Amino acid sequence: MKPFPRADGLPADVVSLRQALFLATGVGLTACGILLMVSILRTDGFTPLEWVLLAMFVPLFGQIAFGFTIAFWGFVVLVSGGDRYQIMRTLPEVDDALLPGSTAVILPVFNENPERTFRGLENMFLSIGKSPAGKAFDFFVLSDSNDPDCWIREETEWFQLCSRRNAFGRIFYRKRRVSLHGKSGNVADFCRRWGKRYKYLLILDADSVMSGETMLRLARVMDTNPGVGIVQTAPQIVRGRSVLQRLIQFATRSVGPLFAAGSNFWHLGGGNYWGHNAIIRLKPFMEKCVLPELPGRSAADRHILSHDTVEASLMKQAGYQVWFAYLEGGSYEEGPPNLTESLKRDRRWCQGNLQHFWFLFAPGTAFTNRIHIFFGLMAYLTAPLLVLFIGLSAWDHHWKAKFKLLSALSGDPASAGDGQISATLLALTMALLFVPKILGSLYLLPRAGEFGGAGRALVSSLLETLLSILLAPILLYFYTRFVILTLLGVKVGWKTQNREDSWISFPDAVQTYWGPTFAGLAIACVTLIWVPTLAIWLSPVLVGLMLSIPVAMWTSSEAAGLALQRARLLLIPEERSTPSILENLDLPAPPPLITPHEGILHLAISPEVNAIHASLLRRSRVHARHRGEYLADLRRRLLVDGPDSLARREILTLLWDAGAVELLHREIWLLEETRLNPWWRNAIRHFNEASIAQGRREISEAGKYRPGAAVAGGSQIRA
Amino acid sequence: MEKIDWDAACLRLEDYLRAHGVEPRERLLSLTLEMLREARSLHAQNPSMSPLETTMGLAIGKTDAWFSALAEKPEHSARTRVAFFSPPIQMKWASAFLLPSPPAELLSNVRSIVIEAGPALDFQSVVRKEMDYGAMKDIARETWDQFSWSHVLRAFALWVVLFFVAYGVYLKFFS
Repeated sequence: MKPFPRADGLPADVVSLRQALFLATGVGLTACGILLMVSILRTDGFTPLEWVLLAMFVPLFGQIAFGFTIAFWGFVVLVSGGDRYQIMRTLPEVDDALLPGSTAVILPVFNENPERTFRGLENMFLSIGKSPAGKAFDFFVLSDSNDPDCWIREETEWFQLCSRRNAFGRIFYRKRRVSLHGKSGNVADFCRRWGKRYKYLLILDADSVMSGETMLRLARVMDTNPGVGIVQTAPQIVRGRSVLQRLIQFATRSVGPLFAAGSNFWHLGGGNYWGHNAIIRLKPFMEKCVLPELPGRSAADRHILSHDTVEASLMKQAGYQVWFAYLEGGSYEEGPPNLTESLKRDRRWCQGNLQHFWFLFAPGTAFTNRIHIFFGLMAYLTAPLLVLFIGLSAWDHHWKAKFKLLSALSGDPASAGDGQISATLLALTMALLFVPKILGSLYLLPRAGEFGGAGRALVSSLLETLLSILLAPILLYFYTRFVILTLLGVKVGWKTQNREDSWISFPDAVQTYWGPTFAGLAIACVTLIWVPTLAIWLSPVLVGLMLSIPVAMWTSSEAAGLALQRARLLLIPEERSTPSILENLDLPAPPPLITPHEGILHLAISPEVNAIHASLLRRSRVHARHRGEYLADLRRRLLVDGPDSLARREILTLLWDAGAVELLHREIWLLEETRLNPWWRNAIRHFNEASIAQGRREISEAGKYRPGAAVAGGSQIRA
Repeated sequence: MEKIDWDAACLRLEDYLRAHGVEPRERLLSLTLEMLREARSLHAQNPSMSPLETTMGLAIGKTDAWFSALAEKPEHSARTRVAFFSPPIQMKWASAFLLPSPPAELLSNVRSIVIEAGPALDFQSVVRKEMDYGAMKDIARETWDQFSWSHVLRAFALWVVLFFVAYGVYLKFFS
């Protein structure tokens, strides 16, 4: 294979040829579907409703046709020895000690599990530290957490990590006072403060982990290609415990590479950005990619929720390429633990993607970015469209009593005249949906040993397909709902992702999934009464809807997920041999001394936690008397009436004042116990017992003391 | 009653010292006794304060003074306090807490730790630019300027009527 020296040396005719091939395949397959559909519909003349159905059929069929096209070209690329035009192929051989451009590795966090975040960060810090060029990398935890306990734990974890690894001056922690504009605002705030100090920005999510080698290679590839603005990696989903997580992690390894390679095949330097596990050239990012306001009436309407696609588009407009380093390993993230969390994320993405509509027609947007935006829009818009299509088809069938559309969907040979065409259309649709899965399995087979062996890999593929079929109607229901809610103007904010607890209890499942269950039952009843044949053909959808409660519960089960792992099903290579970058991420956190408000307890009592927190706050030079009185009142209420007497906003106000925090620490040690709220008396007892137990444990570990029954409390101080 | 008050003060003082990492029993007890003696004499001078307030006021005052002495400059006092709690220093020097003359090695270690939440600020203006959204924005603005749900409902009703009329015409004349 000929070398690919630099990204700006990409021949224009290669880009044109590939995009022509891609579009020709996608449009050609869509045209086939449309022709078959027209043949079915015109058998006894078009009704106005059928024109409407045909208009709806085009984008629906187009979406699966283009999905297939991406996977098909991806498969062709992968089995033919890989793509010549991959950005990572431009990497020259360099001395390991040669410093790349200065890089800031940032982790924007919002009420995430601090222990897990900092363990991942520690692994990355150690990994990059193995190379002498690792000095070019600084790490930033950019916190927007508004949970006081989480905030305190983040600071303590940061301090402990820096002390443990002598990383002060290399790992930084910044807490933002005003969490404006969510994650994109958090990143923009970093750019304003320190953006000028660095050449590149490596952005990660709280659950992302990237090996030092990958970070270094990304920085070097940016050095080699000054015309590249963003390089996006394809993070591998790992550490799947629940069934859903295992399903996603397996799918990203079987069909994922096909879609990734196929995407790179057609867009090359006009790729997309996913918001994390990517490296960005900071100068053009700060100058040209500042998010514009959307046309809208309120400030909330004008704010862009899904910033990544827009930033990729702006970077491309600024004349920089955006590449997808899809074969680059060492880039990891975790999947949502259960269906509810996955849907919550989809709710945000749905609103964000629909906002991108504005950029679809904006002058200056590159062709490839318009395609990305269009695909992003259609990912959600096709759901209500499909629901409408099915509904109108049923209506058409019922009134015409000929079930033409049904046969178009099902290939029902009983329908007069058009049975064969319908069967062809059905076969084509099924092929477009399932051939990528088969190609994925074929691609996986030569490496089947890493996936539990050939037999197990095939069973895993079948299981993944089966579960996808069951999950698809549930997604259809919720995506439809999300689109309607978004169009009605119901907003969502930047919510914390629950990455820990996976199990969905029965009451929670009923509360969340009664809608699809009821919809499935209702449609089944209606169709069984009026159009029984339709009920049979809709059965895959109806079964999925009716089983949504048990499916949501089962896929959230860690026990079932671990059973699958033991059976070596839905296995991924990282489970056979865990890379060092993923080690120790599962270490259990010490049990909390008291919940809730454990952070407040430590902040008030522990001189260490109090000092860390106060030292990280900017001290106000102006001391307004009324503010001092207000803070004194908050402290009094906190100690005398207990933490529950204060609203979260009030606790945060107190926590933002260094002087108030120090006074709180003094007061709690000075006050008579009888004047403290019972919550504090209990909390202090736990704290002191843990402190004593810790001391005795240390002596015991040294073999000098045998703790007796009198030793109270087995817990350990988190700090 | 006073005995219980002094017991409470003693326990609180022990907890306070232990929270500062003073774990060796011998050091803990000697510091406690030393401070209690001092607190008793202070309490005798000012009996209006409870034994606990007197003892803990004394302990906190001594702690503040000790950390100030540990810092190179007074403004570094807070930072020094944090540095003292870093695990390597705690492991080696926790017992040195409140020693009238801290060991030179502790001083140099504590002062060498630079705790930075971030590098020096180097502000960059990140200015939002106007985006040209093309004709769609104008269409949308015109729509929103005159938008009301009654308009939407009326338009929807009109289209429903039109649809059924067209469908009726089709059934009547073309079906």
